[in-house]
Amino acid sequence: MTTTPTLVKLLFKSWMRSKVSLFFGFLFPVMLLLVFGSIFGGPSPPNYTLYVRNLDVDQHGTPGVLSEAFVRALNGSVFEVRLLKPGDPTPRGTGFAAVRVLTIPRGFTDNLLNTTMLNRIDVTTDTITSIIRMAGERIPEQTRDQIEASMEGLQTFKRFIVAEGVQITLEGSPDDRLLQPIEGIINVIASKFELGLLNASSAIEIRTVHAQVRQLRSVDYYLPGYIAAFIMTNGLIGVSSLVSDMHRRGVIKLLASTPVSKATWITSLIVVQTLASLLLTAVMVAVGWLVFRIVAIPDLYSLAVILLGTLAFTGFGVLIGGTVKEAEAVTALGNSISFPMMFLSGAFWPLELMPGFLQAAARYMPLYYFHVALRETLVAGSPETALFPALLVAALAVVGVTSAVLMTKWRDF
Amino acid sequence: MGSTAIVVEDLTKRYGDLVAVDRVSFTVDEGEVFALLGPNGAGKTTTVEMLECLRTPTSGNAYLKGFSIRDPSSVREIKRLIGVLPQEFNAVDNLTVHENVELAAAAKGAKNVREVLEQLGLWELRKRTFSKLSGGLKRRVGIAMALVGDPEIVFLDEPTTGLDPEARRETWLYVKQLKKSGVTVVITTHYMEEAERLSDRVAIIVRGRIAVMGEVRRLVVEYGGKTKLVFEELDGRAESLLRERGYELEVAPDGRTVVKVERHQEIYEVLSALRSLSLDVYPEIRQAGLEEVFLRVIGSRLSERGELV
Ligand SMILES: Nc1ncnc2c1ncn2[C@@H]1O[C@H](COP(=O)(O)OP(=O)(O)OP(=O)(O)O)[C@@H](O)[C@H]1O
Ligand SMILES: [Mg+2]
Repeated sequence: MTTTPTLVKLLFKSWMRSKVSLFFGFLFPVMLLLVFGSIFGGPSPPNYTLYVRNLDVDQHGTPGVLSEAFVRALNGSVFEVRLLKPGDPTPRGTGFAAVRVLTIPRGFTDNLLNTTMLNRIDVTTDTITSIIRMAGERIPEQTRDQIEASMEGLQTFKRFIVAEGVQITLEGSPDDRLLQPIEGIINVIASKFELGLLNASSAIEIRTVHAQVRQLRSVDYYLPGYIAAFIMTNGLIGVSSLVSDMHRRGVIKLLASTPVSKATWITSLIVVQTLASLLLTAVMVAVGWLVFRIVAIPDLYSLAVILLGTLAFTGFGVLIGGTVKEAEAVTALGNSISFPMMFLSGAFWPLELMPGFLQAAARYMPLYYFHVALRETLVAGSPETALFPALLVAALAVVGVTSAVLMTKWRDF
Repeated sequence: MGSTAIVVEDLTKRYGDLVAVDRVSFTVDEGEVFALLGPNGAGKTTTVEMLECLRTPTSGNAYLKGFSIRDPSSVREIKRLIGVLPQEFNAVDNLTVHENVELAAAAKGAKNVREVLEQLGLWELRKRTFSKLSGGLKRRVGIAMALVGDPEIVFLDEPTTGLDPEARRETWLYVKQLKKSGVTVVITTHYMEEAERLSDRVAIIVRGRIAVMGEVRRLVVEYGGKTKLVFEELDGRAESLLRERGYELEVAPDGRTVVKVERHQEIYEVLSALRSLSLDVYPEIRQAGLEEVFLRVIGSRLSERGELV
């Protein structure tokens, strides 16, 4: 019963003593994090995308005149306005681009019109009252009474007009350093809009709320990307060449001539790789915290994602190492699967920086789902959005481990 | 000898059209050292690996201590019985001597790592990294990995190929030790001397077939021919004297004279005859060995590298 622990212990020692696995398993990812984290580590480049959700619509979905005019005023300023339909969900940050949503409440047009009306009435009555006071005795008393009566009539009319102040809501990430200036800009536009169109002021009030989801900094993005990418290379390149080397040395032949089973052998490899993955995660999280103050403590969800990814890529590594005969072919295959995925799956830099067809291509790469699932759990703390990619990684793990077990030969090598 | 450790019956392995092992049959007694001697590609490895349950025979069968290599349930039992040194084996480079033997021990559920290391003179070197060992020591670690767990039957596939003469002789010593402890050993080789020195019985295998098999001494007597006395130069006087006395004489193209004798006694008779002519000569004495057997049976020689020449 001590077979598996001893195999694990020895294989792990061998793994930790191999310069190649140390380099790819720890040094390289840490270096990348330090280098890219320092170069692109800060917040994302400024952008003035503003999502506007206009709730001020009638039953046909036609926006009220004033809200439409307000949106037009915003669009004419620095903002690049993107309209959201009332029912649309709030767009989620994919990494870099900050998401800010301005919500225009229902009744925006009505309330503003009514407010304006009230203002006009007040201005009118005030003006007329002053004129009458200034004119004094020169106005016949009868006329004065008539005017005052109509003023009272206006005041009565005013009571029937319901006018509430409108409150528009700006939602954004607390990490978005542009959120405050943006609030200021919207305020200025709102004031001009009020004055210009309505001759009124202080009718529109902006309320800024902070979204639950924090906007990612570049380093936050890199951290899980690198962890996922190097768990992948550990499996596809590291494990495959380890298995192939063990074959060439006759170690697998020797093991196969003993009572030890193929399952024990593969299990040991998987356990060793899981330990290596956890160690890599720990080192990366520690470096991330020490250097960039990234707080990303792996929770159970992210650990589960790490385990699934390790299973998947270790499985494929065992498969390649056990089925491809020549050592050079094993390395070549491992590399040619790993490297394009590293660079094109969005593990190394956000997909938004890449042309559209490459973004689409990334959706076909297993690593894409692994790093997305890991980012959602480890950094964004959002297991719900990690569910779908994590399920795909789980499916990959099943396929990888199953084919490793089926294709690994324990006789007739 | 005691009972039978291995029984091989018509064991055959085909790879497509190639018959790598062709209806091979033999038995190995318990405690015996059995050598499979043959050139490269003869089918030695294929044969032993079928016995190790690492290759599936095309037909035929074999029994190790009564367990059939074709019966999946007895394969587990066989794997408990055997120790294997694969051909061209190399342990894990970045593990130490001790760790490598521990690896094999873990696989076999064995505990006698220290004992085996001491037995093979590796205990002092146990902390050395495998990759930094000499070729001879590397091979010895492989043997230790085969021997750990006290196997009853040990297979050594070309254990000395590629070793320098000293390391080779050292390895022979360990095989002899092994024999003393009562272990059954099957060894493959293309070195005549190795088979001759180590084995109780030898099977000469060529192109998948056993050409001849038996105790080395007996094969030499049967196929080896006479002992040869090789003289650098003998004058006509001496030659005619020896012919008169009924010896078989051959003059080689290089001028050397070969006198063939049946029994050792005749060596002295030849020399004293020459002394009577006051010729004080010292011939090279070539005793027949496996080499002659091989030449006689196969019709060609076996080079140092294992090729038929
Ligand atoms: N897996 C295989 N597939 C096809 N042919 C094979 C395979 N293994 C061995 N052979 C062939 O079977 C024959 C016997 O090979 P084997 O390895 O048993 O010879 P050997 O006596 O051990 O030789 P060597 O001294 O080279 O180790 C050779 O012709 C070899 O090419
Ligand atoms: Mg061989």
